[in-house]
Amino acid sequence: MGAERPRQHFVDQLAELESRTMGGIDLVVMQIDRVLEALTHQDVELAALVIADDDRLDGRYLEVHQGVLSLLALQAPVAGDLRVVAALLHVIKHMERMGDQCVNICKLIPLLGHEPPVQGPIMERIVSMAKSAREETVLCRRAFEERDVGLAQDLVRQDREINRLNREIFHLAIELGTDADVREWAMTMVMVSRALERIGDNAVDIGEQTAFVVTGLFREFSDSSHPSD
Amino acid sequence: MSTPAKMAGKAMQQTTVIPRRDPADARKERGFAFLMYAALAITFVSLAALLVQIGLDGAGSVSTNLITNFPSKINVESSGVKSALYGTVYLMLLTAVFVIPVGIGTAIYLEEYADRKQWWNRLIEVNIQNLASVPSVVYGLLGLAFIVRGPLSLGRTLLAGAITLGLLVLPVVIIVAREAIRAVPPSIRDGSLALGATKWQTIWKQVLPGSIAGIATGVILALSRAIGETAPLIVIGAAVSPRFLPDGINSEFTALPIQIFAFSKDNDPRFLELASATIIVLMVLLLAMNSVAIYLRNRFEQKW
Amino acid sequence: MNPMTEPAEIDPVRSGAGRADEGRAADLSTAPAEPTITVDQSAEKIFDCSGVNVLYNGKMAVEDVAIPLLKGDITALIGPSGCGKSTFLRCLNRMNDLIPGAEVQGSIVYHGQDLYAKAVDPVEVRKRIGMVFQKPNPFPKSIYDNIAFGPRLRGVKKADMDEVVESALQRAALWDDVKDRLKDNAFGMSGGQQQRLCIARALATSPDVLLMDEPCSALDPISTGKIEDLMTELKDHVSIVIVTHNMQQAARVSDKTAFFIVDLSAGENKRIGKLVEFAPTEQIFSNPADVRTEQYVTGKFG
Repeated sequence: MGAERPRQHFVDQLAELESRTMGGIDLVVMQIDRVLEALTHQDVELAALVIADDDRLDGRYLEVHQGVLSLLALQAPVAGDLRVVAALLHVIKHMERMGDQCVNICKLIPLLGHEPPVQGPIMERIVSMAKSAREETVLCRRAFEERDVGLAQDLVRQDREINRLNREIFHLAIELGTDADVREWAMTMVMVSRALERIGDNAVDIGEQTAFVVTGLFREFSDSSHPSD
Repeated sequence: MSTPAKMAGKAMQQTTVIPRRDPADARKERGFAFLMYAALAITFVSLAALLVQIGLDGAGSVSTNLITNFPSKINVESSGVKSALYGTVYLMLLTAVFVIPVGIGTAIYLEEYADRKQWWNRLIEVNIQNLASVPSVVYGLLGLAFIVRGPLSLGRTLLAGAITLGLLVLPVVIIVAREAIRAVPPSIRDGSLALGATKWQTIWKQVLPGSIAGIATGVILALSRAIGETAPLIVIGAAVSPRFLPDGINSEFTALPIQIFAFSKDNDPRFLELASATIIVLMVLLLAMNSVAIYLRNRFEQKW
Repeated sequence: MNPMTEPAEIDPVRSGAGRADEGRAADLSTAPAEPTITVDQSAEKIFDCSGVNVLYNGKMAVEDVAIPLLKGDITALIGPSGCGKSTFLRCLNRMNDLIPGAEVQGSIVYHGQDLYAKAVDPVEVRKRIGMVFQKPNPFPKSIYDNIAFGPRLRGVKKADMDEVVESALQRAALWDDVKDRLKDNAFGMSGGQQQRLCIARALATSPDVLLMDEPCSALDPISTGKIEDLMTELKDHVSIVIVTHNMQQAARVSDKTAFFIVDLSAGENKRIGKLVEFAPTEQIFSNPADVRTEQYVTGKFG
């Protein structure tokens, strides 16, 4: 009762969808935390948990996807609302991909064996990348929720850091030539690094969606085919 | 209602989904229906009684002679109402010729052109309403003073009679024509104007054709009132029992109501019978006119 | 919309892309005072309006409308009730002249002539600009006579009339439906057919502009769809200006959309209609420049 704003039901539905999407990103953050933990402590059980929990992310994806379709069909959103709805479709896709990258990492962890020959320089950088990726994910969520274009654009700067670390790990791995076990470990870490770098890219993409919602224009912040760094 | 019945009724109300009608309401319904039929019966019976009385009194004297003979004060058997019949018919035609353009024209002015905010237009409207209820004898006096004598000085002619009667029924025609014109929805006018018609073209091609049925019905009904007006014709000096037909609009004339009046004043009871017979003739004319009105209305009525 | 254009300086506050749960009322203090017109002004105009005011008995009803209505477009006028869109539409064929106490100021240039110049005859104006009304208003005559009414006023001869009538009915996609019953009374048609008859009637005088005042609001969805299809077909020969309450219709059918509001800044009982934004329809419905437009099309106010 009382003075309900016009289209209250639709407004509530859209807010709920956005909230579920943000919740999905929170789940990703949680997964990244676990990945970092599993990597640093070679925790195979935690890795298995991450893989199993990816179902929650997939479920969240389907839920929001269906919600978006329903909203489009029934409520005919236009202008700003339409941009939010379109953006949510992209954001959940990125969220789902981020979850998949976590799963990819965790699939590799058991392959490293019980006592992997951890190489300090590489491991440091892996940890650093994971922390940065987590940080980017948290920030991209905040940027979208608060419609903060500046914050979204800043993600590019942070992502450069991850990209740099990724290249460094690659070069370091090349240097490690001697032991077959060490080489195997290093190759695996390169793949982990790649996955973490992809997580960062997806966070930047979410930032691009933020800019789209606010400005109505879609502009790639950092286009991999036009490297600026 | 007795208590056991009430309880049974309540029990029934508790078990059925749709309760029975409240008996008080049902009684009111029946009471109202009864009153309605009673009113209808009174009207119908009165009218029937009148017609039957006239029929009984006059039927014996109705014959072709009635219509083909002139009235005679001396010879009752050969007395007819030919002059009155012709007079009435001419009178009605002439009245119609006068009343139709003037009435419709005034109605168009009032509905389409007059700005109701102006005082003179409101004055015209009020006057027309008043004129419709002025007693007919007053119109007779008006006719006598201004048309038969006075400025127009037409004498006691058909023309004078037609104008007088015309003035009498003019307010009715105007009112009915206005209603018919008003019934044409504004959307029709808008549609016409939006196609590039002028206001007058819209009136002539859309509004009038759309209201013609109503106007025609109104004119005929007005004439059927005029046909029975006796007082004004007496006052302006219609001839009594003339033995000639009117030979033009400037001729003296008589009409059926006058003839009826003349017959009924005679002491000879056979003339009373003639009066009733003449009433029958008048009623047949009235019936014919009203039938035409009803036919026109049903055939051409515009349902918006 | 081209998503890959360089971003202009879009002010996020102005564009009003707020959160879904913020149904905040249009903030007039940050909204621009001048209407936002993002239409190519160099294209050929069918009506060039500037400074158009409409007053009823001295009271301002629509104020200062300046808008270029382009040839070959379907232009939709949208806005909340009482914002003056129908009033403005009626200015375009001088129908407001028929309302006592109505006064139109400013200039509306049509084919290089100011419609409201002293020498211009409003009746002649209405012969060249067609109008279709909200409720279908066929005349109580035959279908043939309905269509022939306008041409007869223009002096079309009897010999040519059959062709004129058929042509108009063809253009209104009604010919096949009625060709065997042209003498039937128009009132016997369904609502949707009656409205198409009114469109045919307006087209019979070969106008180059058709003004439509909520033509589908009294019709069922199928008839509405037929008329919308008709409008798209007619666009090649007739420019159309349509007032509509149905935003989806404006989105479906029009090339350009003009958004009007009711300005209450002079007081609650001084409701003045004003133009807020005029832009390609796609822009209005995907990324309007004015926050008030955004609020209206998303249904958050009005």
